[in-house]
Amino acid sequence: MPEKYSHPAVTIGTGPGTPCIPTPITLSVEPTSDEALMTAVRADHLDQLVPLFERYHGPLFNYLTRLTNDRETGEDLTQTVFERILKYRSSYQPTQPFKAWVYQMARNVHADHWHRLQKQRADDVDEVERTGGLRTAAFSQQRTSSSHDDLHEALALLPAPQREILVLHRFQGFSYDEIGQLLSCTAEAARVKAHRALQALRKIYFA
Amino acid sequence: MKLSEFSTCSELESLLPAYAESSLPTAEAERVVAHLPGCPACQQQLRELRALSADFDAALPEVPGTALRHNFMAMLEQQKQQLKPEAAFGGPAAPVAEQPAAKVISMWPTALASNWVRIAASIVLVAAGVFLGRQLPWSSQPGNTVATTAPATGQAAPATLAAALSGDSGHAVSASSRIALVTNSTKTAEPDDATVQVLLNTLNFDPNPNVRLAACEALYRLRDAPGVREGLANSLPIQTDPNVQIALIDMVVSLRVHRAVPQLQRLAKRPDALPVVRAQAEAGIGKLI
Ligand SMILES: [Zn+2]
Repeated sequence: MPEKYSHPAVTIGTGPGTPCIPTPITLSVEPTSDEALMTAVRADHLDQLVPLFERYHGPLFNYLTRLTNDRETGEDLTQTVFERILKYRSSYQPTQPFKAWVYQMARNVHADHWHRLQKQRADDVDEVERTGGLRTAAFSQQRTSSSHDDLHEALALLPAPQREILVLHRFQGFSYDEIGQLLSCTAEAARVKAHRALQALRKIYFA
Repeated sequence: MKLSEFSTCSELESLLPAYAESSLPTAEAERVVAHLPGCPACQQQLRELRALSADFDAALPEVPGTALRHNFMAMLEQQKQQLKPEAAFGGPAAPVAEQPAAKVISMWPTALASNWVRIAASIVLVAAGVFLGRQLPWSSQPGNTVATTAPATGQAAPATLAAALSGDSGHAVSASSRIALVTNSTKTAEPDDATVQVLLNTLNFDPNPNVRLAACEALYRLRDAPGVREGLANSLPIQTDPNVQIALIDMVVSLRVHRAVPQLQRLAKRPDALPVVRAQAEAGIGKLI
């Protein structure tokens, strides 16, 4: 059995630029913060990613599944997010909120996926010409969810940016402040966008 | 101008979602209340918004399949294996200082060995040059310097650009060395989002404005990489040094980063910003909108 990393002995730096003063975190009833866990992961204590996986894989899976309308893709992309967390762990700064960092990463993973998909569709054009049959919307080939209810079907018909903002706000519990940070806009702009998206969804939902 | 009532229901459309979630300021809420009784269409809209909201609250989250956890655990196990020194050195051990690139490549599975590995290797080469070659003045902490830990554990990955730049592995890296690290990070091949992340972190968190400026310039060279434009826009509210502020403003304007407009607007009104910075932000908005 290799030497095991013992859970409570996490040390964190005090932040960028300041000299590192190792701060032992004493074991207490309180759960270890996301940031302390990720700081340990960054220091190659990879087992500390397990509690982060437990906390975040459900929300991230939901986020990515809603964005892609496809459970299988949602699982693949969630896995990719955790791979990237490990791969790029040295770029994590202990002063960064882990949640913001990981969702930014999830957005990038989704963007990469989307670009691949666009490229693939462009490549498919020839095939469409050959077979003569133009497939309808991409959505029709992808069955979203086990619980395919009207709300999720309506959401799937929204443009992706509007869908994302509603998913973040209503399913992921993001505040408008947090959405603003993630989307590089003000909290007020995020609120306005969310309300517009809700109106657009209402029109689809009650059409 | 008569503001006491709405000329059209379409004006109300933008207010009703906030009204439905009870977040509308009192004055506007009162106007909605005044309009509603006489307008069945808006009443209907409000009912629909509330029903939609209730359905959101009632929606159940998707539950991931067991494969996700299984795959994650497998991936984690694999990464842990690769951290072990004996796994990292398949062949004959080479002197660390001479072949840092070989060590880095062994850190990642060959399946992932694309651009990233090349970049990582070059970054660590640069870092190793600084660590081992130039003998920069660390605040020395016995047993905690990269030069001693790297050969002992056979790991070069933690001693990457990020650790070198932040100096939070216990070493105080001089500002000029950090500038060299940042500048060199983009001189190789095609960098990917790991480099971008590190540079954005440096831009936002390095205590020295000259290092932040160097990060700014390095990011400009990577302007086509994903996340760069967004990151530059996001950095605007964080910066307090006028030189960095102006450099960033120039950059988002020349890159036509429209999403930076709200940040520029806020910067233009920031009381703690220098007048020249506020003027520059104002001019930038004019060019972007
Ligand atoms: Zn009306």
